Amino acid sequence: MDELGQRIDHLLAIPPYGLPPGERESLLLELLKDELEYASGRNSGVRNYLLHWPKEIRSARRIADLPYLPVGLLKRQPPISLVEPREIVRTLNSSSTTGQVPSRIALDSSTARRMTKGVVSITQDFIRSARRPYLVVDVPGSAGGGPELGARGAAIRGLQPFASEVTYCLRLDKNGDLSLDRDKLSQFAETRRQSLVLVYGFTHILWKYLVKPLSAANSCLDMADLHILHSGGWKLLQAEAVDKATFNEGLARVFGCSPDRVIDFYGMVENVGVIYPDCEEGNKHVPAFGDVIVRDPLTLEPVPEGKQGIVQVCSVLPTSFPGHLLLTEDLAKVVAYDGCRCGRRGMCFRFMGRVAKAEVRGCGNIERYRQ
Amino acid sequence: MSELIHRIESPEEISLLVRKLRESLSAAEITPNTVLEIFEAWAATLGQRETVDIPGIQFLRIWLRRGTLEPIVVRELGCEAVRGEWMKDGRAWLKAFPLGVVGHWPAGNIEIQPVLSMTCALLGGNACLVRVPSGLDDLTRRLICKLDQCDDKSVLTARVGLLVFDHDRWDLQEAMARAVDGAMVWGGAEAVLRVRSLPFPHWARLAVFGPRISVAAMDADSWCNLQQRESWCQRIARDVWQFDQQACSSPQVLYLEEKVGHSSDEFVRALQKAFELENRLHPRQTIPAGLTTAICQARASWLLDDVANRACFSPTPDWTILVGRGAELPKPTQGKTLAILEVDNLLAPVEKFDGNVQTLGLAMADAEREAKLASLAARRGVDRIVKLGRMHVFAPPWDGVDLIRPMVRVVRHVASMG
Repeated sequence: MDELGQRIDHLLAIPPYGLPPGERESLLLELLKDELEYASGRNSGVRNYLLHWPKEIRSARRIADLPYLPVGLLKRQPPISLVEPREIVRTLNSSSTTGQVPSRIALDSSTARRMTKGVVSITQDFIRSARRPYLVVDVPGSAGGGPELGARGAAIRGLQPFASEVTYCLRLDKNGDLSLDRDKLSQFAETRRQSLVLVYGFTHILWKYLVKPLSAANSCLDMADLHILHSGGWKLLQAEAVDKATFNEGLARVFGCSPDRVIDFYGMVENVGVIYPDCEEGNKHVPAFGDVIVRDPLTLEPVPEGKQGIVQVCSVLPTSFPGHLLLTEDLAKVVAYDGCRCGRRGMCFRFMGRVAKAEVRGCGNIERYRQ
Repeated sequence: MSELIHRIESPEEISLLVRKLRESLSAAEITPNTVLEIFEAWAATLGQRETVDIPGIQFLRIWLRRGTLEPIVVRELGCEAVRGEWMKDGRAWLKAFPLGVVGHWPAGNIEIQPVLSMTCALLGGNACLVRVPSGLDDLTRRLICKLDQCDDKSVLTARVGLLVFDHDRWDLQEAMARAVDGAMVWGGAEAVLRVRSLPFPHWARLAVFGPRISVAAMDADSWCNLQQRESWCQRIARDVWQFDQQACSSPQVLYLEEKVGHSSDEFVRALQKAFELENRLHPRQTIPAGLTTAICQARASWLLDDVANRACFSPTPDWTILVGRGAELPKPTQGKTLAILEVDNLLAPVEKFDGNVQTLGLAMADAEREAKLASLAARRGVDRIVKLGRMHVFAPPWDGVDLIRPMVRVVRHVASMG
């Protein structure tokens, strides 16, 4: 484990987007094989799965040939773990749609530490490393403090290493509804106007509780030197017909900054320590300590450039749960396997939405399910 | 021809179409014999280039043959019905007459079902109003074009109205229900319940074919028989492959009766070979991403759930065999994912059936035990008990229900001067 840990730390220490694709693949491949062996030794169910994998794991020449687990398996209770219960310092819960079971991710102290380092390494490539006032468009307490942490909390906490101080600008009213604390926000804007500032919020929360009320009041915070990061997906905003350009312009207008200061990032708690911010070209990139494989649903082989498929995320960071190679329920399109104009090396891609759930049918549903 | 498939935007368009169908009904009576003649010619055209690649087409070609359908007409309506004659019943005469206009709500995941459903009602002399599920309109059009070529006097095509409209246009669903005298409804539980709740006339008769699953079972002497093993495995593969394992009659699980001193390993290997062969012969052309993730999830869950479980599967989502032990009915995945469960006695899983199992495919060396198992399965709600390899070979009753008879009225005439 120590040797494994050192190899993971080595990957975490190098610039996240500097490795040529071939070099990264060979570095990750051997490490992931060793991590699979480690997972196999610590969980009999995982071992049984790996034993039945239809390809020889040790002789695999591509990450794409290594066995992956469907992300839905991480919804199990108790969480699938590779460590003793006493070693678990925190359990992350995914955000789940109403009625769905959230994923539960067991973190030991090493994985939690690497998770923070991973997020910092990626984020500083986009917003530089300085500490700065951090405005969280959420309620105080949403980042939690206990052993359980949700997706919003994990995202808020993940950016705290960039904070010199933290201000929350939403509050809960008597009915338990969120609302904007305008006094707090105005005070923050007035006193931090000259500073570099970091803002974070869930995408739909930013729109509903910040952009909409400030736009209605025709308010502008006049804070040009900031970065606004957001995550959580577009489903709720799509229902309101708000696209990315409208969203970015709305945020830029109320903050008084340029729309290119708004950065959408995708992250899933199961893919600990890895987030995928949009680059200037609107693409997402994979860091040195992870990978993304977009698989053709028909063959499960990686798709060529320009095609879309099912997203598999890879990360060498976790050692407390088998989250190294996870087949998600998201779709993405591969933009290029290298050569994004932003200068970041390796494959770049764009998310295309969720996989439509397959229902078990007898002689059918009345509607055809084919996409 | 173009008017055979109608994109509907308003309830009035449905009313207009139904009026025309009723005019065709009133204009002339057609006998099952006439329908059978046209069907026979239609079947002969379906092997042509435009339709030969439609999933299920081979089944439809066999289905439409006189040799398949005439015995069904005879069994359900009597010998005389084939030529539209009255049948003597003591001092009375009996004859089947159509209900009128029959509405069809076919399943969306079986390509040939809009046509298949319609054929049942046409044999009873009815006119048909068919709601073609979105995504099946092109395939259905290709099939109906072939009917149009064979039916030069529009005997049948004048009695068919095919509709395409968005499934959430409740006003159109209601208009269609109000206009019909009978309905054949196929689909998943939610869809079937929604259609049943539509405002049908009080006299309308409904034949509902809801979601079911099917099961295969082999006694020890069958799967241990080395001479017959390959043949049985081919039969199972064929049953799994047809309709991408999504039909009600597709086996989702195979129960193997254990035999002391015999491991199922060799049998599983033989089945794997049969699956690989069938996959080469009939590869999938497309798959919804959701089914791929469900298959991957089923493989991993199976192996993580119980370390005694085994599995073999292709690196692609093409096929999956999950091997374990126990009489419980596992949650089906479909997409050519077959669970093999070893049991002490085949009666144990059948005892647990609850009416959700439609077909039991069997390979039993002992006829006496098979009869006992069949009786138990029938008592537990199974509607069809057939030989493995013939799970999709349907001879009505289908789901325990006749196919033509529910959509006809058998009229009794007692002569006044007799």
